[in-house]
Amino acid sequence: MRYGIKVKELYAQHKRLAIILCFVLAALLPLTVVKTSYALGVATKMVIYAIAASGLNIINGYSGQTNLGMAAFLGIGAYTAGILWYRLGVPTAAGFILGVLAAGLLGFILSLPTRRLYGTYLTILTLGFSEVIRMIFVNWTSVTNGVMGITNIDNLSLFGLTVQTGTKQYFWFALIFLALVLFVLSRLLNSRIGRAWISIREGEEAALSLGVEVAKYKSLNFVVGAMIGGLAGCLITFYYRQISPDLFTLDEGFNILAMTIVGGSGTLIGPIVGSVFVLFLTEILRFASRYRLVVYAILIIGTMWINPAGIAGAKNSSAAQYSLHIFQRKGAKQNAESDS
Amino acid sequence: MYVLQQILNGICQGGIYALIAVGYTLIVGIVGLITFVYGETLMIGAMSVLFLYKVVKLNIVAAAVVAFFSSAIVGVFVHKVCYSRFMNAPRHISLLCTIGCSMLLKNLAQIYCGVEQKKMPGIIKVRSFDIGGLYITNTQLIIMATVIVVCIGLSLFLYKTKIGLRLRAVSQDKTASRLVGISVERDTLIGNCIGTGLGGIAGVLIALYLNTTSATMGTMFGFKAMIFCVLGGLQSVVGAAIGGFVIGIVENLGIMFLSTTYRDLFSFVFLVLALMIRPEGLFVRRRKQ
Repeated sequence: MRYGIKVKELYAQHKRLAIILCFVLAALLPLTVVKTSYALGVATKMVIYAIAASGLNIINGYSGQTNLGMAAFLGIGAYTAGILWYRLGVPTAAGFILGVLAAGLLGFILSLPTRRLYGTYLTILTLGFSEVIRMIFVNWTSVTNGVMGITNIDNLSLFGLTVQTGTKQYFWFALIFLALVLFVLSRLLNSRIGRAWISIREGEEAALSLGVEVAKYKSLNFVVGAMIGGLAGCLITFYYRQISPDLFTLDEGFNILAMTIVGGSGTLIGPIVGSVFVLFLTEILRFASRYRLVVYAILIIGTMWINPAGIAGAKNSSAAQYSLHIFQRKGAKQNAESDS
Repeated sequence: MYVLQQILNGICQGGIYALIAVGYTLIVGIVGLITFVYGETLMIGAMSVLFLYKVVKLNIVAAAVVAFFSSAIVGVFVHKVCYSRFMNAPRHISLLCTIGCSMLLKNLAQIYCGVEQKKMPGIIKVRSFDIGGLYITNTQLIIMATVIVVCIGLSLFLYKTKIGLRLRAVSQDKTASRLVGISVERDTLIGNCIGTGLGGIAGVLIALYLNTTSATMGTMFGFKAMIFCVLGGLQSVVGAAIGGFVIGIVENLGIMFLSTTYRDLFSFVFLVLALMIRPEGLFVRRRKQ
């Protein structure tokens, strides 16, 4: 216990140093522990899904909108990059950037109805939206190649440097993007914008009465979340070097959701913990691959039962407050129905 | 003539859809929380009949009863896992629980019942009648009859019995019902079980109508249930039933103009548009705020 406190104090004093140290250690992984290409693949996937889960966390964890359609953002990013290369021969780097922007645009479009919808309706809308996007991928054969998908995509090349997939370079490349995303998000969340998002999560009407432009910040929230999702999608395109609609099904969206929830929403570290934890578990349970989704399901339900805020979730959110109630067994019943 | 035939088929399919929608609205109305498990209760209703038929030769009434009770038992499980603990919690918690529950049931069903499509047993001997050029099978007639009987039974239950009165009270205001001495916990459980039970009956009817069943059949119908209810305004039972009928007929007419691959796409586009334009439902008068 005492050591725990000391570690905590140390962490609080040298937070930035600790995070940089973590990233350096992660970057050294391919040189030390992770030797086989299989392990490298898992590590790369962990980094890519950590980015995707961070994007979802911005929407679900910080502004409290329940988005189930994260796979659509990944899909748009991935397909934009893929199609631009495949149909128009656009350089991969340009496709990469345009993919991220396209996802941001989609996020903006999806955010328009959120100005009027909330709660349940919004959730159903994001779900329908995700399914519509996937069906477009399947059915618009002349552009997307339908269920066959786009194969043999070129390696990503930036300024003449080629990032070979399946190598250490790709892991580092993805890691740099994760660091970048975390840096931008931490700056963003400590600003007026981040505080506005959290105020929307904790009480939309209260935020409105304090002069927060809720509609504007909600849109911005969806755009930022979608762009990060699109970034993860682009990374997936150039990692697998082929894309097909089954990469972006609703189950995939739920998968990312499970990472965000289990890891903890409302903190920057949560989705990373979740992604590493869930993918690690997936690899361990590979011998029982039929039970993979069953395990995910039990993980989601278990997290909700034990601590809705997740492993490393925000301590100041309404979900965390609720889990405190569960533990204290006090005031939970008297607590008036909260319609959030 | 072809159009009339399609409308007739659409009415039959719409009847099943209406039953699906009624069950879903009951759950959403009484429990007050949205559910993603509903499609799986349909699947469990159909699967339980399929498996019991290997032991006992069921007739249609027995099949409906079996489906109702097996799905209602699943309803108890769902209520314990997803709702009763989270009545006062932020809504997304129980929503995520239902997603987890749906994944759990669907994948367990896939593991224990197999992933392939299964043929339904011949509970009804198919015969078709010719009424002035229109063909109608006795399957369709029996399905329609079942839907009508179940709906009449449900409305009698809701409006003529004491439990029905309690359930309606709970769906209107939980705090007020608690104040007058209704056990909200117990009544949401009952409401949820009836809703999932109706889903089970609808599942059997769908499986008989399409003559197949599979472990993943629930996903599509779960989404469709959501679409009907959004069209009907999420809370209104009658509105949801009309929503189901309309979609059933539109789908069957749509076959004439569109290829089947686009049919599901259009129902989702319809959902997105309906949510964007009239989120309070098509058949509900707009509330003044």
